[in-house]
Amino acid sequence: MADMLSTGVSGLLAFQSALDTTSHNIANASTPGYSRQLVNLATQGADQSGSGWIGRGVQVTTIQRAFDAALSGQARTATSGYQQLDTFATLAGRVDNLFSDSSSGLATTLQQLMNSVQAVANAPTSVSARQVLLSQAGTLVARLKSYNGSLDTLASQIGTQIGSEASTISTLAQNIADLNRQIVTAMGQSQQPPNDLLDQRDLLIGQLSQHVGVQTVAQDDGSVNVYIGSGQALVTGSIAARMTTTADSFDPTLQHLTLQGGGVSVDVTNTISGGTLGGLLQFRGTMLDGARNALGQIAVAVATLFNNQHAAGLDLNGQFGGQFFSVGGVRTLPASDNTGTPSVSVTRGSLAGLTTADYTLQYDGSAWSLSRNDTGATVAMTGSGTAADPFVADGLQIVVAGSAQAGDRFQIQPTSQAISGFGVLIADPAKVAAAMPLVTSAAATNTGSGAVSQASVASPGAWVRGTYTLAFDTTGGWTITDAGGATVTSGSSYTAGSAIPFNGMSITLSGAPAAGDSFTINATGNVSGDNRNALQLAGTLGQAALAGGSATIQSIVSQLITGIGVQTNQAQTGRDAQQVVRDDATNQMSSVSGVNLDEEASNMVRYQQAYQAAAKVISVADTLFQTLLNATGH
Amino acid sequence: MRISTSAMHDLAIAALLRQQAELSKTQNQIATGKRVQKPSDDPVAAAQLFDLTRTQSQVEQFNRNSTAATTRLQLEEQALADSGTVLQRVHELVVQSNTATLTNSDRQYIVTELQARASELQAIANRQDTNGDYLFAGFAARTQPFARGSSGQVAYMGDSGARQLQVDSSQFVADANPGSQVFMDVTAGNGAFTTAAAATNTGSGVLDAGSIVDRSQWVPDQYTISFTSGSTWQVTDSANNPVAAGSYTGDGAIAFRGVQVNLSGTPASGDQFAVRPAGTQDVFGMLDGVIATLQAGAGNDATRAQMSTALNASLQQIEQASDHLLAVRASVGARLSVLGDADAARQDQSTDLATAVSGLQDLDYAAAVSKMSQQYVGLQAAQQSYANISKLSLFNYL
Repeated sequence: MADMLSTGVSGLLAFQSALDTTSHNIANASTPGYSRQLVNLATQGADQSGSGWIGRGVQVTTIQRAFDAALSGQARTATSGYQQLDTFATLAGRVDNLFSDSSSGLATTLQQLMNSVQAVANAPTSVSARQVLLSQAGTLVARLKSYNGSLDTLASQIGTQIGSEASTISTLAQNIADLNRQIVTAMGQSQQPPNDLLDQRDLLIGQLSQHVGVQTVAQDDGSVNVYIGSGQALVTGSIAARMTTTADSFDPTLQHLTLQGGGVSVDVTNTISGGTLGGLLQFRGTMLDGARNALGQIAVAVATLFNNQHAAGLDLNGQFGGQFFSVGGVRTLPASDNTGTPSVSVTRGSLAGLTTADYTLQYDGSAWSLSRNDTGATVAMTGSGTAADPFVADGLQIVVAGSAQAGDRFQIQPTSQAISGFGVLIADPAKVAAAMPLVTSAAATNTGSGAVSQASVASPGAWVRGTYTLAFDTTGGWTITDAGGATVTSGSSYTAGSAIPFNGMSITLSGAPAAGDSFTINATGNVSGDNRNALQLAGTLGQAALAGGSATIQSIVSQLITGIGVQTNQAQTGRDAQQVVRDDATNQMSSVSGVNLDEEASNMVRYQQAYQAAAKVISVADTLFQTLLNATGH
Repeated sequence: MRISTSAMHDLAIAALLRQQAELSKTQNQIATGKRVQKPSDDPVAAAQLFDLTRTQSQVEQFNRNSTAATTRLQLEEQALADSGTVLQRVHELVVQSNTATLTNSDRQYIVTELQARASELQAIANRQDTNGDYLFAGFAARTQPFARGSSGQVAYMGDSGARQLQVDSSQFVADANPGSQVFMDVTAGNGAFTTAAAATNTGSGVLDAGSIVDRSQWVPDQYTISFTSGSTWQVTDSANNPVAAGSYTGDGAIAFRGVQVNLSGTPASGDQFAVRPAGTQDVFGMLDGVIATLQAGAGNDATRAQMSTALNASLQQIEQASDHLLAVRASVGARLSVLGDADAARQDQSTDLATAVSGLQDLDYAAAVSKMSQQYVGLQAAQQSYANISKLSLFNYL
């Protein structure tokens, strides 16, 4: 039976709820993750009368939050993408800054080393010029070590950060699982959505998506399952998996990420993308190792080229130059799960073949194979792997020993540790080898066109220093005599361009010497003003000796720095573009879910007026009742 | 589209922050004057900049190399000029000593001066550069190149090396000539042959240094001019085959195989003169020879004639040596000129490099300042509009 009083009361109750909800909205206008709530009103049904259906008033069917799951998912994806790019761009920017100074940078330091070699060539007897060369070499070493140290610091910071990301993700996953349980319970009790719990959970999933890219699947009971990577479950209903760091099977200082849940551990390192964690892993994989290996390659190239040339020259004491730079060797890491007892020793071979990649050497039960870690491509090896005939590939010489089992692996890092062993071996300026060991001259009276085209000490150990004369006789024969006139070696004819070896030396002539022509071959003495080896040294750093003979050290340096610049620039541009996408997605979501205070003000006025009207209905009902009482009561 | 109140604030603040960041970047560019501050600002320009800065540094080093080469070559040129002066004075003294009226004791004074000149020449040849390196020692920079050995002769102790300095990416210039080339390997005689009188000559015939009149006829060999009588001569080669013969009537030319030598005085029968292909002789040995000739003196016509022949040959030799030094000096001058040209070319290159660096790196101030004031106005407008709009609320009217 329709009743004005109860209809009025239903209005009062409904609009009170509406006003409550509006004030809740106003109160939470700035609460992160809050979705504005709406009161759904419906008529309360009607009573039949002879003249038709008379309504029984209003009721609140539910309090609903303004929420669009699709928009929310879009915003999360956009946020994950942005966070990854932002993390990468920030880290890349640090590397970029490291190489930014063109006046004290690597290219200039290398050039200054070459300049100081030229200064020695200008005055080979000047000890001060030699001292400057040594200190410039020291500067180059310090510069490379400082870059390498900065990259190492960055690597260890990233390691720490990956660990804390993993624990943050585990905590968030646990909290999401807890909320899932509370939501399922609340839904079961009231059959109404626990809006604030839902908001909290969406907020946590949003936070999670800043750390790692996630996919969510809503369940019928109100819970949400969360997946990361390529579908690995992080949260299943009220159960959360734990993300932990484990050591790389080759390099224990390198963290891998493992997802532990339901008694199973899965390595998810290579499947994770998005979020801060995705950015960290991407930076570690694509930029950090590459930059460090490239620096190592530069150190190896400088040391190898300089040492080879330096060893061919004589120092101020008349001694052979020997090694100028020391450089760290190839790093070889066995897998921790190798079952056999193989051992591998790797040395560097040709400089031209050396790359900045790391490699994996694997035994399949019958043969060893080598693959690049960056591209995964198999690298063909020649040789048999023995000490006498090592495997040769990409500038490496690999010797394997011991008994290997199928699946045994080694990681080979050709240049990663080059800089840790990089240093200048010479401290005494007199030991800089600026001179060449032999000086030759043609007698002024020579009438033929013969000239010495090459004179070198082929085997320093067998070299007998002294003054030698090469003389041609009338029959085309030749004789080499020492300072005492004793014959050292002789021949009955000479073909231009063929080498004459004697006493550890080798001499080659061009042209046609005439009868009676003679040439003198002298050993360079102490404190020589000879600068020929210094000129060769200055030239050697400009040789195209890298990348199959197509790149100089300077071009490798500029390639490295430009590469970093381009990657950083791309990451920053990508981040800026992704920021627009993220902002747009967030705006769309907040356009649906966010509180607008003007709207709430208007709602408040509306519900207030409705409330007042409902109260008036009760007052009228009262007046009607009084009227009736007055009419009937005497 | 409805906008939530907090999103409105967030968006406004984000826009303000972005404008501030851009303004700060422009301000930083203006403060440093550089458009490219990090490789990522403009990777292509940064790569070019690294290359250009490196090349600039290389060019500076080539400048220093060129200065070092120029300094040494100028020292060498001075030494060669001084040597030429000494030889000129020696030439005068020898001409003077070849006068028939001089007595042996007169010649002794000349000998004294010649000995002083010989020492002076040796001192010049032993000059050092600012670094203490001997100019004419080849690579044996710290070994005194010219010293008198136990035999009393000046020997060359250096080597035949010549230091090359790099003055351009592909250009090398020798910064010295080895002493052996400058002072030791002087072609003897007139450049083709030498003449000498036999010590056994009894006549007063004097042979001059001669010359080649027809180079196509000249066959280098050891020729002997023999007088079978006071008026007939015969020339034989090293195998003792007759080459030419003639009669001598006094002060006449003897010609054979493109050679012409002039004989004066009165040769005796059996006198011999040698014509030998020119070898090399060193300047110091030449001076020693002149001094020895003058010290030996001349007691009679025959020895006077022998001395005169010897002095004639020496005069020729001195001229030859002067020419040789001039030729070396010319090559030094040519190198100095090459260095000058290379310097000028490098100067141009430096200017080009600096222009290129500036074009890539330097900021266009006019554009940057106008950009900054634009950004300034933008930021100000954003701030003012935010301040105004954020005041609006329906609650103000309830």
